[in-house]
Amino acid sequence: MADMRMDDDLFDSIVFAEERFRDEGYREGFEKGSRRGLQDGRRHGACHGARLSCEMSFYYGFAITWKCVLQNSIDGKSRKRVKALETLLGMIQSSPLDDPQSQKLQDDMDKLRAKFRQVCSMLSVPADFKDYISVAEGTSF
Amino acid sequence: MSWVKALPVSGEDVFDDSADELSLQSKEWTSNMKKRLRVKLDGYVDGVDTGEEASLQVGFNLGFKEGAAQTVAVGRLRGIVSAIWCWCQIQHPEKPVPSSVTDLLHRVTQHEDKIANGIRNALENPPPSVSDISESMEDLEVERADRGCCEERCEESDCCRKGETMDLDFPHRPQRICSGSTEELHLLLQCCVDVVSELGMPQEIIDTISSLCGKN
Repeated sequence: MADMRMDDDLFDSIVFAEERFRDEGYREGFEKGSRRGLQDGRRHGACHGARLSCEMSFYYGFAITWKCVLQNSIDGKSRKRVKALETLLGMIQSSPLDDPQSQKLQDDMDKLRAKFRQVCSMLSVPADFKDYISVAEGTSF
Repeated sequence: MSWVKALPVSGEDVFDDSADELSLQSKEWTSNMKKRLRVKLDGYVDGVDTGEEASLQVGFNLGFKEGAAQTVAVGRLRGIVSAIWCWCQIQHPEKPVPSSVTDLLHRVTQHEDKIANGIRNALENPPPSVSDISESMEDLEVERADRGCCEERCEESDCCRKGETMDLDFPHRPQRICSGSTEELHLLLQCCVDVVSELGMPQEIIDTISSLCGKN
């Protein structure tokens, strides 16, 4: 009986030793993985954030410039356009890019894109700015 | 890694099973050590997985804000110049858009691409210390070699800090990309102000452009 208990103790100490080694490894691995995850996530996040902010900022610059151009006109058509531009600007300002996980941001972006297309059609300009750029390149070379 | 301290300091290769002079006892010790290291390695790999999973989103959110801040000014400027370009076309449909506007749009677009590429490059070519998870095994080997070198004599002081230095290197990256392009952005903003004045467009546009100077 006593022998068996000794065996048990021995067995326990082996198991505990293994557990201890495992825990040590785990802690070191966790630290390493956390660092790596943080950096990987950060780089991916930077890519997404830059892209989204670039698009949103483009809409902002576009809308504010048109607003400056049109706001002193008094005809009904211009007033309607200015109102649409102001709505777009308001939407951009109420969509802060500080929480990439929020569903609101995704919804806001969809609404923003739709509003931008609407504004472009009111201004009689094409909404696809890739075309603009290739036109611009085409005329400069 | 601390567990390497458990290895004998004599410099003998403890894993060399073929060494005839090893006593049975030390063979047993070796096998125990191997087993412990294996157990520890298993824990390590699990830890890396869990740690990575736990911090990815935190890192993503942080990077997202940083990346977003980098493209506000250039994005807005491209919007402004695109609007000017459209305005010119609508005002004078019979004439081509002035080359000053077209050139500026082209340069702003290029600048935007440069910033985007800088960020993408940082993503595709991460600092060397951020290795694939499958390399954990190799990490152990490398760390062991480093430790060995340090314990003997630490004259080559950078050998054991190398990995960490590269880790620390990363946080400065976004700023580096950004500061390199600040001057270029200011030139473009000034150029845009000139174009707006030249075209006789409203002063408010110039005010908007000026407000972008602090946004990068």
